[in-house]
Amino acid sequence: MTHLENSTAGAPVAPAPRPAASRRAKAQRRAMILFIAPAFLIYAAFVFVPLGMSVYYSLLRWDGIGEIATSARFYGLRNYIEVLTDDDLLQIIGNAFQLALWFTIPPVCLGLAVASAIRSQMAGRFGTATRTILFLPQVIPLVAAGIAWSWMYDSYGVVNQFLRWVGLESWTRGWLGDFTYALPAVGIIGAWVLLGLCTMLLVTGIARIDGSLYEAAKLDGARPRHEFRFVTLPGLKNEIGICITVTIIQALSSFDIVYIATAGGPGIETTVPGLEIYRLAFAHRQVGLASALAIVLMILVLACVLPIQWALRDRNK
Amino acid sequence: MADLKLRGVRKAYGAADVIKGVDLDIAHGEFVVFVGPSGCGKSTLLRLIAGLEDITSGDIEIGGKLVNDVEARDRGVAMVFQSYALYPHMSVRDNVGFGLRLARVPKAERAKAVEEAARILQMEPLLDRKPAQLSGGQRQRVAIGRAIVRDPEVFLFDEPLSNLDAALRMDMRAELARLHQQLGATMIYVTHDQVEAMTLADKIVVLKDGEVQQIGAPMELYDHPANLFVAGFIGAPKMNLLEADVTSVDGATIRLGGADLTELTVTGAAGTLPARGEAVTLGIRPHDLIPAADGPLRPRIDLIERLGHETIIAGALPSGARLTAVLEARSPVRLDEEVPLSVAPGAARLFAASGEAVPLKAD
Amino acid sequence: MTFPRLRTNALFARGLIVLLMIVTLLPFLSMLSAALAPSGSYPSGLEWPSDPAWGNFAKAWQVANMTELMTSSVLIVLGTVPAAVLFATMAGFGLAKLTTKRSAWFYLVFVIGLTLPFEAVITPLYFEVRELGLLNTRGAIILPLIGLYMPFSVFWMRAHFLSIPQDLSEASQLDGARRWQEFWMVQVPLARPAIMSLSILLFLWTWNQFLLPVVLVQEPTRRTMAGALGAFQGQWGTDIPLLCAGSLIILAPTVILFLIFQRQFVAALLQGAVKG
Repeated sequence: MTHLENSTAGAPVAPAPRPAASRRAKAQRRAMILFIAPAFLIYAAFVFVPLGMSVYYSLLRWDGIGEIATSARFYGLRNYIEVLTDDDLLQIIGNAFQLALWFTIPPVCLGLAVASAIRSQMAGRFGTATRTILFLPQVIPLVAAGIAWSWMYDSYGVVNQFLRWVGLESWTRGWLGDFTYALPAVGIIGAWVLLGLCTMLLVTGIARIDGSLYEAAKLDGARPRHEFRFVTLPGLKNEIGICITVTIIQALSSFDIVYIATAGGPGIETTVPGLEIYRLAFAHRQVGLASALAIVLMILVLACVLPIQWALRDRNK
Repeated sequence: MADLKLRGVRKAYGAADVIKGVDLDIAHGEFVVFVGPSGCGKSTLLRLIAGLEDITSGDIEIGGKLVNDVEARDRGVAMVFQSYALYPHMSVRDNVGFGLRLARVPKAERAKAVEEAARILQMEPLLDRKPAQLSGGQRQRVAIGRAIVRDPEVFLFDEPLSNLDAALRMDMRAELARLHQQLGATMIYVTHDQVEAMTLADKIVVLKDGEVQQIGAPMELYDHPANLFVAGFIGAPKMNLLEADVTSVDGATIRLGGADLTELTVTGAAGTLPARGEAVTLGIRPHDLIPAADGPLRPRIDLIERLGHETIIAGALPSGARLTAVLEARSPVRLDEEVPLSVAPGAARLFAASGEAVPLKAD
Repeated sequence: MTFPRLRTNALFARGLIVLLMIVTLLPFLSMLSAALAPSGSYPSGLEWPSDPAWGNFAKAWQVANMTELMTSSVLIVLGTVPAAVLFATMAGFGLAKLTTKRSAWFYLVFVIGLTLPFEAVITPLYFEVRELGLLNTRGAIILPLIGLYMPFSVFWMRAHFLSIPQDLSEASQLDGARRWQEFWMVQVPLARPAIMSLSILLFLWTWNQFLLPVVLVQEPTRRTMAGALGAFQGQWGTDIPLLCAGSLIILAPTVILFLIFQRQFVAALLQGAVKG
């Protein structure tokens, strides 16, 4: 406080007065505000206000039924402590990260394989067909993907049919009801949805790499794995970064697929934060805890995505 | 009547001064060219006049009206951009007529104005095309047409020819000159090309680092550059600038000497004469050098360009300084020879150490 | 030695792609085969039924009230997408062309929302929508969705407007355009490709939106298609042929639109990922 006072009182020269904005500058500023206002207002009303409320609720213990004034009480950071110490909630957050691995690794690896194998834009009728089919899962509701796959994973579904056909009768099971395999099974649904998008991103990316780089590498005696390591991977850094960003956001904030395919079961084996927030808030009436989990989820997504974006930006410079 | 007055116009971006106080009077119907190297502030000055940017201080008057706070659209100016800035989604007709449409000019009247502009610029067949279907020169015409229909008080041109090839640029230059005569409007033209400035302007404004170096008619600038910068900037090939010393001052007669010249006398005008022993810069246009056996300048020739109608030679003087001269077409010069050159009477220019011209008596 | 290697490489690529396509299509085919089994029966894996029960589709249409569902989804899309696109286009223009350094923070405010999971605000949204008296109406989906789409949409449109040369804006100023006229007569026509792509993305996201309808609207016939599918599964989840037939009907509209506008969809989705 004293420091502040000193600095103002002791300032030898008054700061140069900012030149008064001209009428035209003011008019432009007014125009800007008018153009931004509708977007900003509705954004503020339905994102910022709720976000602020989320933070507020997360400090309360409230059942969400009565008025806040009468039925809620201040609970401090105890909701957050519970989120970060409760075994079940920790497992649920862990589930989200396991899903992130499933959502990310198969699509990116398969996409890289396809991209480096064809190493050019997909053209012609085959290319169009490929694009169209691989993009189908992006177009349908995730809910439909969930229903389609729960039938695939059914005891009498295609997966088990296939296993029987190749003679692995003993491996058959109801996949989504199995404590060990339910989460990977859900993960594969996500991988299936994201496969086409990642593949196409990487194929488009690799077509942009200068072909002479590969020729130069060959002349330098590079084997295919060297080409992959020293030409393809560096050339696709951006696209890979984009894929990972998309898949991680999808995995951490997944809701639709899990809700439809397993409803979080068996037990809480496939429960993810999104689903748990919904349950806590609307079934268990623990609005405070749900909100704390929501805030933690938001921070986790940022914590995963920001470093990737940061790394991409630095490379672009 | 649209004359233009700039009084102490300054522009600063944060702490960086881009225009450092410009005073300028432009009479109605004048063709004024702002010229200078890139970054000298000439485009900024034009944009300040257009009203695309705010001046930091000073006053701008157009037609006797203070326009500091007037929006660009209400200043009665039209501008032709370097990139032409045609609206890609509109036909040529709509591009040219856009301003009138905004001004709610009735359709029939609008069509007539557009046709008229198209006739002046000989681009009637292009009216229904889109900008993407036009060549660079045609786009240029459309951009000018768009300015014409608005019948502005002042036309502004921002390096309008720099995206055209050399031949087309000559044609458009001639066309702009014709247009200026035909319309009799005030035009301000920005370029970094001194040839455009010399050929088009009634009045040239030479700018450097946001400051006016000299204002004057083309020949005035060519004959009497106010300082070293203008001397070096106007004229091609460039004026030779040589270090010299004042060996004696006798009345108005100044005797010069130095490493590069044996002796040269010039006659100063009354008043400001350099002192004896002062270091000065001697400026001589390449066209003003004449072969003469007793010439004070003796470059050793290492470059000969025979252009047909004239021959350009260049070489090094004893100090290593370069000298360029333009000689008659069939001058018998040879490489590695020393060619003695004298200065045409009254052609030498003198600059003090500060860079300012020393006034000399015209012969 | 190079030639055979190249050939095997290309063959391997093609084989891999075909395999991926089969994996992508398999769930659809398995749904179709199940949908054609007799209603109420328990189908088995992937097999073409001897007597395909096409009637399942008619029945699913009827029991799920598909006509009403489609109408509801269309209404929600019509309420959401045009408004969101308009607001985003205006804000994108304002942020790209009218801001000075001092107001750059406006843009940051929008960008902050880019990675926000909808779940993070769904609880307070419920109470907010209840306060507004919109619970159980389509407005409960439309208004929050417009708001939630703003970060991406504004980001998208701003990126587009930044690519439009400043000269055009200045030329229109000198031609006498007010900002509003410049926006409608110069900028919006030039932004058409960006607006198209954004509309496609927002249409898909709205049509397929699940979380908001599930939380905010109880009545399935006022939900989006995806939301209604959730309710449909809850009700008919045990009748697999019927469930599969219903799911296929529900995913049909977007798939058909996708097949027609394949090129635009793919471009929009790819750019959407890159920019998001």
